Amino acid sequence: MPARLNPPAAPNPLTALAAAVAAAAITTAVSSWAVSLAVALACAMLAVRSGVAGRLAPAAAVILAPFWLSLLVMHGLFFPEGRTVLADWGAARVTAEGLGFALDMGARTAAYVMVFLLFSFTVRVPDLVAVMAARRVPPQFGYVLASTLTLAPAISRKLARIRQAQESRGLVLGGGPLRRLAAARLQMVPLVLSLIEDAGERAQALDARGFNGSRTRTSYRDVPDTAAQRAFRAVALLLAAAAVALRLSGQWPELPGFPLQGFAMLWPGGVPG
Amino acid sequence: MSQQSRTLPAPGQAAVRNRRLLEILGAVSIAATFIFLVLTQPADITNGLAGGSTLVALGGFLLGAILLIIGVLPTLPTSTLVLIPVALVLNIALGQIMGSTGLPFYFDAIGTVLIAVLAGPAAGAATGALSSVVWSFINPTVLPFAAGAALIGFLAGLAARYGLFRRFYLAPVAGFVTGILAGVVSAPIAAFVFGGTSGVGTGAIVSAFRAMGDTLLAAITKQALISDPMDKAIVFAVVAILAYALPRRTTLQFAFVRRFNVLAGKKREAPDA
Repeated sequence: MPARLNPPAAPNPLTALAAAVAAAAITTAVSSWAVSLAVALACAMLAVRSGVAGRLAPAAAVILAPFWLSLLVMHGLFFPEGRTVLADWGAARVTAEGLGFALDMGARTAAYVMVFLLFSFTVRVPDLVAVMAARRVPPQFGYVLASTLTLAPAISRKLARIRQAQESRGLVLGGGPLRRLAAARLQMVPLVLSLIEDAGERAQALDARGFNGSRTRTSYRDVPDTAAQRAFRAVALLLAAAAVALRLSGQWPELPGFPLQGFAMLWPGGVPG
Repeated sequence: MSQQSRTLPAPGQAAVRNRRLLEILGAVSIAATFIFLVLTQPADITNGLAGGSTLVALGGFLLGAILLIIGVLPTLPTSTLVLIPVALVLNIALGQIMGSTGLPFYFDAIGTVLIAVLAGPAAGAATGALSSVVWSFINPTVLPFAAGAALIGFLAGLAARYGLFRRFYLAPVAGFVTGILAGVVSAPIAAFVFGGTSGVGTGAIVSAFRAMGDTLLAAITKQALISDPMDKAIVFAVVAILAYALPRRTTLQFAFVRRFNVLAGKKREAPDA
């Protein structure tokens, strides 16, 4: 246990994963927009502190912006269960309940997205794979995870090369739908073919090195872990399990939900109906 | 009867039974979660956040997907395993090609269905579930849909097993049916976990059904029944085109293709011209 005196700068990947899972489970169990927003905000602050905010912000925005817009249109205008009508335009009715539901769901999804993006942007994938293999997760899972994340840029380079090669042979991108489909086929077939060929070669290389053997493996990578982190993981998962059990058993102490009355009073001209 | 064998222990009958058990438990977990959600939904969603349903949906579907992955992955031969990362990246890369053609389809299951056709239902299900897990490192909102993705891979493998890819016109039919089932399974996730769909187009369809007074789950299910079968029919047709465009030397590498005669066998294997 050499790491006890000098705690590592980055937490063990399992600690980060346990924290992310616990945060997501507790946020879902609490089901309060205020808690969800607080969790999302805390993730944003942690992202700034660990220096990944520049990558995380656009990734989160690309996911969340269309989702929020869709929620707002869907529930803001059409919420047949709503009773407190704020505005009425024929088929579309703005109700306080609908807006509250959109806020609840939007905030909860934001917390969920921020928590897991923070995890995936800060975790070192080789460390995660090594730790999982040590925990008897099938080594194939680690292979698929690490291989996919490293393969993606290589494949988009290959696709660009195929497109250039086909364009030099007279492929024209654009035109009518049929010509576009034909162009897509001219790119897809060589891409898929070369990927399957490459995979065959990798399979032979892996087999030659005993990848499918069922013995325990020795890892060159030593991922530090501390007693404090083990204790933290246990506490986080226990708290999450307790929150989930409390919610599922129906014994959850009701938190103040969306402030309907206050919202209605703020509405100019009072609430019709 | 030597007491201590010095050879590698072959995976025994017990290990095979354990994995089969994991697969069955995974499938049961997904099915039970779905039935529970459909039976309990009406009272839950109208009074705001469906905290309990969300936890059941997330927990049950994710548990099922993870059990499937752990049960199936170690049984796959290396030649199939190395294809899975390729399939996952294909799910993303072919989506990008489609994006550049400007056609209104997503095609995020082409890699999954291709694996299912080449390597069978179990490999297809594991690929679908893994696709969601690995993709969630970039976009966490796809993680809860892992069970639906696994179902698509499994059904595509079954379709290939029973020869639906031998006739070109049958592949889209199989895709259409798969889309119906996958849409119905994914709808509770969209409703209970996210409270809606993320696309603005799909959101508009959901809004239309909501305006007619449908419950959220009913509206999202109807929207899924409009979008998913079309999408999957096209995806299956594209995979059929790809599978027949690949050289037979490549497709016949796969034991599943040879054993069940998945692709129509034109035996005129001409020497390379």
